[in-house]
Amino acid sequence: MSTVVNFENLWCVFEHRSGQLVHALEDVNFSVDSGEFVCVVGRSGHGKTTLLRVLAGLQPPTAGAVKLGDTAVTGPGSDRAMVFQQDTVFPWLHVRENVEFGLRANRLPEDERNEITDYWLSAVGLEEFADSWPRELSGGMRKRVALASAMAVGSDVVLMDEPFGSLDYFTRRNLHEVLLNLWFETKKTIFFVTHDIEEALILADRVVLLAEGKLVDDIAVTLPRPRNEDVRATPEAVGIFKLILAHLGITEEEATQA
Amino acid sequence: MTTTDSDVLNVRAAAHRARRRSKIAYTLYLVFGLAVFFLLWQLIASPISPLFYLIPPPLDAFRHFAENLMFSQRMVDRFVHACPELLDELEVTGGGMFDLPDYCFGYILHLVRTTRNIMIAVTLGTVFGLSVGLSSLVFPRIADVVTPIAGFFGTTPIFIAAPFFVIWFGIEYPLMTTVGVVVFYTTLLMYFFSRRAADNIPVGIIESALTLGGDRRSIFRWVYLPGTIPEIAGGFRIALAGAWGLGTLVEVLGPQMGGGFLIRMWSFAMGLLEGPSAVVSLILFFGVLAVVVDGILVLVIRYITRWSEAGRKLGL
Repeated sequence: MSTVVNFENLWCVFEHRSGQLVHALEDVNFSVDSGEFVCVVGRSGHGKTTLLRVLAGLQPPTAGAVKLGDTAVTGPGSDRAMVFQQDTVFPWLHVRENVEFGLRANRLPEDERNEITDYWLSAVGLEEFADSWPRELSGGMRKRVALASAMAVGSDVVLMDEPFGSLDYFTRRNLHEVLLNLWFETKKTIFFVTHDIEEALILADRVVLLAEGKLVDDIAVTLPRPRNEDVRATPEAVGIFKLILAHLGITEEEATQA
Repeated sequence: MTTTDSDVLNVRAAAHRARRRSKIAYTLYLVFGLAVFFLLWQLIASPISPLFYLIPPPLDAFRHFAENLMFSQRMVDRFVHACPELLDELEVTGGGMFDLPDYCFGYILHLVRTTRNIMIAVTLGTVFGLSVGLSSLVFPRIADVVTPIAGFFGTTPIFIAAPFFVIWFGIEYPLMTTVGVVVFYTTLLMYFFSRRAADNIPVGIIESALTLGGDRRSIFRWVYLPGTIPEIAGGFRIALAGAWGLGTLVEVLGPQMGGGFLIRMWSFAMGLLEGPSAVVSLILFFGVLAVVVDGILVLVIRYITRWSEAGRKLGL
C-alpha cells in the first residue's frame, strides 16, 4: 500500500476575540496509506474537525503541511470529497441531480454522468428515489445521498465529519453497513471523524486519537470484520476501548453514563 | 389485528375529507371576512356616521367606477386638459378634443398607464438589483463597493425621496418620474434581498459543493441561483406590493397621468357628491389589482420553489 496522505508538523492556531491564542492542532504528524479506514477520535473541541478541514483544503494551516502524495493541499478539490455533519444535500436539486453535482462540476459528458449516477444511487439503495426532492426523504436517506455524491465524484480520499452523529441508533447502524460495503468495494481511503468510540471500533482500521490538538496515540484496530456485538465484546476490543478512554481522560463511569 | 386494503382506503378517504373540509372552512372564513368588511364600510358610510361625507357607500363607489371606466363625462368637463399625453395625440392627429376615442376620457387609459409604468419599473429595478446583487456573489469586490452606497440610500425613506424625483423629472414626464422612483426603490430592495438570500445559504452547503469539485461558475449556477430563489421571490413580492402604493403616490404628487393623478384631481372635488366615490373606487381598484397580481405571483413562486417546504406552504 502506498502512502496517500501525509500530515507534516501541522499546526493550526486561531486567535480568539479576546486576543487569546487557541491551539486547535499542535505539531500533528502521521501518514495514511491508500485504502485505509482511519477514524479520528477525540472529545469535542479537541481539533478533530479542524484536522479534517485542513485536509479538505477548507482551512489553511498555520504551519506545516498536509500532502496528498507529493502535493501540498492548498484548497478544496474533488480529490477529497467530504460528507459533513450537518445536512448539506442541495434541497433545490432532485436526488439524482445531487449525486450528479460533482460530475457536472467536473464537466463529465452526460452519458458518463448518467451511468455513474445510476450506479451510486443503486449502491446506496436510492434508485427508487432518484426523482424525489430531498425534503421528501428521511434524515438517513439524505445522508445516503450525501454519501453517494461524495463517492460518485471519484475521489480516492473521502472525508467524513461525524456524518451520522444526528441520526438514531438503528439508522446509524444501517449506514455503517452501507458505508463499509462501499469501502470494501471501492477501497477508497476514508477519514472518519467521530467522538463515538464504539462507532470507531465498528468502522476503523486505525484510530487516531486527538487530545487538546495533539496526536496522543495511533491505534491499529485488527479486530475481525464484521464487527458485531460479539466481536466488540472480545477482550481485545474491550482493551482498545479502555485504552481510548484512558487517553481521552474519560473514566469508565463517565463513559457508561454517556 | 391486521391492516386491510379497505382500512387503507378508509384512512385515505378520511384524509381527503379533512383536506376538503379545511378548504371549505378557508373559503367560508374568506367570505365571512369580506362580508364583515362591506358591512363595516356600509355602516361608516351611513348618515349616522361622522365620516358620512368622506366615505361613500360601497355600491356608490362601484357604480362610479363602472360608469367612468370607459368614458367619463366628468373628465371631459374637468380634467382632460391636464393630460399632456392626450393633448400630444390631439396635436399629432390635428383633430379636436372630441376626435379622440371615448376610452381616452375614461379611467381605463390612466389605470393601464399606471399598471404599465409600475410593471416596467419593477422589472427594471429587479433586473438592476439582481444583476448587481448576484454578480457580487461571484465577484465579492462588487459588494464591497456597492453595499455602503446602497446602505446609504437604503436608509433614506422612499417616501422622502419620492418628491425629489417629482421635482427632478418634472410633472411633464409621468413615465420617467413614476418609473424612476419605483426603479430606485425596487433596485435597492432586490439588491439587499439577493445579498441576504445568499448569506442565508448555509456555509456547509457551499463547502460541500467546493469539496465536490465546484468552481465559481458551477456553484453560482447550481447553488446560489436556485438557493436564493425563495428569498428573492419573497423580496419581489414585497417590492411589487410596495410599488403599487409608491407608483400611485408619485402620481398623486405630480405627474399629469395615471391612477394617482385621477385620485389627486378627484380629491379637489371631495366636497362634491362624486369626489369620495371616485377616490375610494380608485384606491380599491389598485388594492384589488395588487391582490390579484400577488395571487398569480404566489402560484408561480409556489411552482418554482416546490422543492422547499416553506415555499410550498407560504408561496415564498
